[in-house]
Amino acid sequence: MAKTFATVALIGALAFSAPLFAHHGAASFDTEKMTTVTGTVTEYVWTNPHVLVKVDVKNANGTVQPWVLEAWNPVTQTGRGWTKNTFKPGDEVSLEINAAKNGQPVGEIRGKIVINGNEFKQRQ
Amino acid sequence: MSKRSVVLLVAVVMAGMFSPRLNAQDEKWNNIPPTRAAYRDKKPSGPAPRRDMSGIWDAVQTLGTSGATEYPALLPGRRGAEGGREDETGVERPLPYTPAGLEALKKNKPSGPGVRQVDSVLTNDPAGHCDPLGFPYMFLWELRTLNVVQTPKQVIILQPFYGNYRVIWTDGRQAPKDPDPRYNGYSVGKWMDDFTFVVETTGLLPKTWLDHAGRPHSDQLVVEETYHRVAGDTIEYTMKITDPKMYTQPWLALNKLPLHLMPADFDIPELQCSPSEFAEYNNQVASPVLRDPSKK
Repeated sequence: MAKTFATVALIGALAFSAPLFAHHGAASFDTEKMTTVTGTVTEYVWTNPHVLVKVDVKNANGTVQPWVLEAWNPVTQTGRGWTKNTFKPGDEVSLEINAAKNGQPVGEIRGKIVINGNEFKQRQ
Repeated sequence: MSKRSVVLLVAVVMAGMFSPRLNAQDEKWNNIPPTRAAYRDKKPSGPAPRRDMSGIWDAVQTLGTSGATEYPALLPGRRGAEGGREDETGVERPLPYTPAGLEALKKNKPSGPGVRQVDSVLTNDPAGHCDPLGFPYMFLWELRTLNVVQTPKQVIILQPFYGNYRVIWTDGRQAPKDPDPRYNGYSVGKWMDDFTFVVETTGLLPKTWLDHAGRPHSDQLVVEETYHRVAGDTIEYTMKITDPKMYTQPWLALNKLPLHLMPADFDIPELQCSPSEFAEYNNQVASPVLRDPSKK
């Protein structure tokens, strides 16, 4: 039974695995480390060359740090199940990202996505 | 779980693999093609129609993000994608550069993953500035899905990336002898047999790049494409690069790359490059993440 499920899971994973695409490489981002950004969406930009999710993160001292988080282009994101309505301003989100190596509040969305308490399972 | 349930579950997963992904908002529009895995064990369809390559063909997304597929700009083991090198020394399959070719290579600063990658804001890659890519760059990077229209005298390839199109003349004309260079050059095509269409393109703008790894070309570039329709639903696509100023011998950038026939009602999503949106992206992402600001 376990073997059967493993086989089905493998087939599913292969079916929905998409190679990464971007007009640029990932040299500027720390691809070895996953960082979780938690905050409130201020803007969702559904355009080329990259879809952007802008998030305000409240720091421990009460200040707010705006982050800019990129995904790939709208066509690739559509293949992963995203739409122009996946995020909206005011959404409370938790996003796993690769952050910029230079410490700037910019990153690439690469892992788990939680929107208003619900995990958004994208096709990989 | 019963055997019947397992079979049903596998069948559902397989059906999903071979169905174009459809936008949940409206199944008739913005169709997303299957991924590469969907074709892994798929048997070819019936015989191909003679001298016909019309239809909607998909190359399964990301070609040549590290350069032409047959010559990726990567070290053995697909390492080195983070860039930082001036040339391609040590790559697994080196290209036969002439001294002039090597010199020209070093002037091109690619932003795509590979041994020579630079930060996005430092690139002079046409793709990093929303400039027209031209041929063959757009076929070696953003081939994706093509809409091929065939008329008695032309084969027209509509490519949604950049809203690009190519015209391949099949009326027997010769390539121009002293061409005014164009981004897509001048293409003439000929059926070598009922299933093999060969295209030769010349007159390409030297300032364009061959691929996303910054491989250069000169005004002597000749691109030979072979579209071999091996089955009703499959074309094997090969691209040969000949440029004696830049390379000591011809080389195959793509070798029998499968193009898969999509359903006739497949709606290709657009993928335009907007200079103003690109500038905004560079302002908000590319500039802030520059690794070494002193290089700006």
